[in-house]
Amino acid sequence: MRETSSIDAADPAAAFPVTLSGQFRRHLPRYVAGTAVLATFQLALNRIDWMSKAAIDAVFGGTPEQVTRPAVFILCLAVVAFVARVSSRWLIFNAGRDAEYQLRALLLHRLHRLGTAFYRTMSAGEIMSRSTGDLQQVRLLLGFGILNVINVALAFASALQVMVKVSTKLTLVSFVMLPFMVVITRSFSRAMFARTRTNQETLGKLSEVLQTNLAGVRIVRSFALEKRERGRFDKVNGAYLDASLALARIRGLMGPLVGATSALGVLAFFWYGASLLQRGPDDGGISRGSFFAFWLAYGRMTWPMIALGFSISIVQRGRAGYERLKQIFDAIPEVTDGPLPEPDDFDGAISVRGLSFAYGDRKVVDDVSFDVPAGKSIAIVGRTGAGKSTVAMLLARLLPTPSKSVLIDGKDVCDLPLSAVRKAIGYAQQDAFLFSTTVARNIGFCLDDAESDDAVRRIREASREAQVLEEALGLPEGFETVVGERGVQLSGGQKQRIALARALVREPKVLVLDDPLSAVDAKTESAILDAVERQAAARTVVLITHRVAAASRCDQIVVLDEGRVLEHGTHDELVDAGGLYAKFAAEQSAKSELDAVDVDDPAPVPGTEALA
Amino acid sequence: MSAEPTKSTGPVEPEPVEPVKPVAVKPTDDAAQSVALSAVEGARKAAGTLRDFHEEERLGRAYDAQLLGRLWPFMRPHAKFLYASLSMILVSAGLNLIRPVVMGRLVANAQDDHPQGLVRYGIILSVLVVGMQLLSFVQMYTMQIAGARSMADLRAHIFEFMQRLELRYYDRTPVGRLVTRATNDVDAVGELFASGVLNAIGDLVALIGIVIMMMILDVRMSLIAFGALPVVGVIVWYVRGRARQAYRDIRVKTARLNAFLNEQVSGMSVVQAYAREKGMAAEFDSINVEYREANKSSVFYEAVLDAAIEMVGTVCIASILWWAGLKRVSDPHITFPLVVVFTQYIKQFFEPVSLLATRYTVLQSAMSGAERIFQLLDEKSLEPEGKPTAAATSKAAVDGEAVALDDVTFSYKKGVPVLRDVSFTVKKGERVALVGATGAGKTTVTSLLLRLYELDRGHARVLGKDIASYDRRELRDLFSVVPQDVFLFAGTVATNVAMSDDTPDLTRVEQALARVGALDLFLRRPGGLEAKVDDRGANFSAGERQLLAFARALYKDTPLLILDEATASIDSDTESRLQSALEAVMEGRTALVIAHRLSTIRAVDRIVVFHRGRVIETGSHDELLAKGGVYARLYRLQFAVEELAKPVHQEEAKVAGITSNSFPT
Repeated sequence: MRETSSIDAADPAAAFPVTLSGQFRRHLPRYVAGTAVLATFQLALNRIDWMSKAAIDAVFGGTPEQVTRPAVFILCLAVVAFVARVSSRWLIFNAGRDAEYQLRALLLHRLHRLGTAFYRTMSAGEIMSRSTGDLQQVRLLLGFGILNVINVALAFASALQVMVKVSTKLTLVSFVMLPFMVVITRSFSRAMFARTRTNQETLGKLSEVLQTNLAGVRIVRSFALEKRERGRFDKVNGAYLDASLALARIRGLMGPLVGATSALGVLAFFWYGASLLQRGPDDGGISRGSFFAFWLAYGRMTWPMIALGFSISIVQRGRAGYERLKQIFDAIPEVTDGPLPEPDDFDGAISVRGLSFAYGDRKVVDDVSFDVPAGKSIAIVGRTGAGKSTVAMLLARLLPTPSKSVLIDGKDVCDLPLSAVRKAIGYAQQDAFLFSTTVARNIGFCLDDAESDDAVRRIREASREAQVLEEALGLPEGFETVVGERGVQLSGGQKQRIALARALVREPKVLVLDDPLSAVDAKTESAILDAVERQAAARTVVLITHRVAAASRCDQIVVLDEGRVLEHGTHDELVDAGGLYAKFAAEQSAKSELDAVDVDDPAPVPGTEALA
Repeated sequence: MSAEPTKSTGPVEPEPVEPVKPVAVKPTDDAAQSVALSAVEGARKAAGTLRDFHEEERLGRAYDAQLLGRLWPFMRPHAKFLYASLSMILVSAGLNLIRPVVMGRLVANAQDDHPQGLVRYGIILSVLVVGMQLLSFVQMYTMQIAGARSMADLRAHIFEFMQRLELRYYDRTPVGRLVTRATNDVDAVGELFASGVLNAIGDLVALIGIVIMMMILDVRMSLIAFGALPVVGVIVWYVRGRARQAYRDIRVKTARLNAFLNEQVSGMSVVQAYAREKGMAAEFDSINVEYREANKSSVFYEAVLDAAIEMVGTVCIASILWWAGLKRVSDPHITFPLVVVFTQYIKQFFEPVSLLATRYTVLQSAMSGAERIFQLLDEKSLEPEGKPTAAATSKAAVDGEAVALDDVTFSYKKGVPVLRDVSFTVKKGERVALVGATGAGKTTVTSLLLRLYELDRGHARVLGKDIASYDRRELRDLFSVVPQDVFLFAGTVATNVAMSDDTPDLTRVEQALARVGALDLFLRRPGGLEAKVDDRGANFSAGERQLLAFARALYKDTPLLILDEATASIDSDTESRLQSALEAVMEGRTALVIAHRLSTIRAVDRIVVFHRGRVIETGSHDELLAKGGVYARLYRLQFAVEELAKPVHQEEAKVAGITSNSFPT
């Protein structure tokens, strides 16, 4: 794993140990301290047993007045046990929590560095299930698992000392059920985990069905699909019910089975213990105090015996969970930093030389070349699927750009630090993804402090340029309105213009706009194009579009078809040439004139865009 | 000596909070976000609004009779399991009460050298213990059956309810939040049964029983033991309040953490394009730290509670031993078996107390889950029931009227009418285009015809019958709809085309695709007709989605067609395919087309021109041209250019036709 990325420099997550053993070592002092405290705890319990023996023997022996000393001792030991127990959990569980924290931070750190190749192989749902379920298993291993393994060992030692000293035979008799207990708890916890997973999966399916049904509510109703949808829902709802009950059966069965098994052990103890008690200490038996102490010690063993099988499963589960996380940790980022230092400044001249790119076997960009001098603009035009967006993404290395094919100011973008390239080449994508925060924070996405006066000014300025200022101010809370999941509260056009404003705030040297106007009406489009022209005065602009009106404003135009450059020139040259571009121009000018007539119409009622 | 695995009194530490409990991990982007992105420190201005949005979980009362009363109808069909389970809880509590006495007898018999007694009580004890375990399994399982079945019913009820909600409701409510109601919130209520909270009833009975038994056995020793109660009370009170806060924090922070990560994953390309990894990591870190700290404090409080209760138990036993020692000389009543019995009672006494805090939390979250569920179920904006089917009016018979609007007025928002007094008629077999600017109300007309929304004023008839007197399903079954923004379901190409069928008829799917001239396009994909369609059709282009929607309409094969043409984003190639698809789909049907292309407009019989929510012109193409109004102006402007572009169109249409033929079905 490379850790040299300049983006990593200030991210503390990059320094966290990524392996299980690394995490274990990092928190080792706490595990050691926790072990020491647990030893103290078990020692205190051990002493309490002996003190109880002394007390009982005193009370029911000849010297009841001597009971004070052991009673006071027990009181003190109880306090010691309390402190030790709390601090052992505090130390070891918190180590597990810290490990979880670090691994989660690392997870995002790694996810940030992975590209489309990775996200095509692992869905968002899958990543989420690993970052929740599997990470939890790892945490249980590093906290609960470790604590229990240590504690079970110490508890055995502490209780056995009492029991064996009282009577070896009684100890052996009492432990007659131990092997069964371990076998039962282990196999049950395994089955339980398996069913828990099934249960979670069916719940996942249930919410998937619901999600699709509700998101597609219009189509469900328009096509009268209610019956089919109800059938689909009943199927997953029933599956979830079955899975819940299957889990309940195994969960419910484990307790009683273990309980009954351990009860048999207790019975064995009571029977044999009672007969030893009958005989009395002088006759090879045991005293009342010894019986009582043994009873207390044996009682302390019940849960560790159960926990033994359970802990083994926790450890196994944790390791399996880690293996699944590791697939994310170990995924190789396709795009990494180049060796050159970050240049002080860029002029913004872009050269594309024989750029080719394929998704798997499918070649989408084929030997594309063009030059944009600093401060000039270029439009990339073509049909859907012509490879326009791919070219745009390759410029900023959002896909693995082949080396020596994209140059900025004469330098290969692959040789530069990634953050420098992305800072210089600002890419605003087609799909206007908004974050579920306020309008202001979405627009000021690139700003570290979106609250400062300067930031507020820049956000407003960009909103005005993107023709969304008035609408933003008209929202219920103005710029502080939360846009909702993916911007559900906004219309498609509003989202797109907010995304455009977000790109403008950034003021990069090279601005790459990927079809920023598809959901915008003609009047707004031309106002935005004015703004883009103003932008072009200060920077290099690469405009991906299928609209001739937008392309015609650029200094040069590249027409892509099936990944290849079909035509290249200025608007006038290409119109005269009478090729594909001229065809686009003819079609679209008709459409725009149609729109021009309609423009007389009053502005649509706010919000209806989203409703219709 | 307790024979059951009682976690609370054992020296091994149960990990706090998260039992192996199913959490709905939302597979889709925007699902998990009814609680979403964090307001970072310093978001002073945004704080208020963002907090509202996060829907910070209010943990209200732990017990709400009204809510329980509303849950009851869902539980009633399964009540026999509930009653059975509750009575078993009581029996078990009773048996648990006898157990220490039997143990005491056993020890007494041993002490007094009565071998027969020893055997007898030994057998009683074993029967008792094994019987209790058996009972506890049956009790837990019947409880779970009652719970899980009621919750499945509740879930189905919520689902049905959602299907009846007006579309207006969906316009203003995020889908993720609704999904949460039927999944996480129902599960929170279900935890009442799954986690054994109702066993608290048994615990209460047991506590009272233990107190009584102890008092009967020895009043003075009981009083000493109960002397510890105020101490326990103080500890529980101290810890419970704080632990509740910690649990609450954990729930809220978990939701935020997952929502944030989910959003990072789905918006990864934006984060990377803007090189915001560092900033996002910092924001994530603040939530991650809060989550960790909340968990750490819950670890602490739980540890304190468990350990303190155990300590108090030990102290109780020590005090009783001490007191017994001091009094034993003068009081022969105090015997060894009595001490054993007392010790066991004290242990049993503290078990439920230590579970109190967690049970209380489960109860609270169940109640707040129920509250949110019923808040949804209280929603008034339901689709009204259809009136009983009336006969078609005679008008239809006479005119062959297919669709008619009479003075229809409609508004999404009160006081902002989108349609005003709209009237027009479409005859059977006629093709009518709706023309006008964005927001002129064309799409709204089609939504009203399908009764997706209810009219404010006026009437609409379909096939001569008022739409209000149709059953909605019956009405909608008359239409095929090609919406502007096509929604694809996760599945395959075939299941999406044959949406209304459970199992798609592949021959008909192929025919439908071939007729829209897109079979080649879809067969080209790996998997062909069985090619996977991602959620919402994310792996298909807008044009491909449109073509699929046309095929859907052909597959459904209804007398009426509603077609909302896509405006932009469609490249010329797809557009030409769509043109030929349009011809295919309109053939032999009554069609209502929201037209954006001149070619479409020319393919229809009549045109209705919309302006500001009103119909301003109606007539055939020729009539409208002759009239010299708005439409004529539009047309003349368009016609000249279209002539220019026409050869290209035809050529492309031909190309599309050839390619589709080259892939014979």
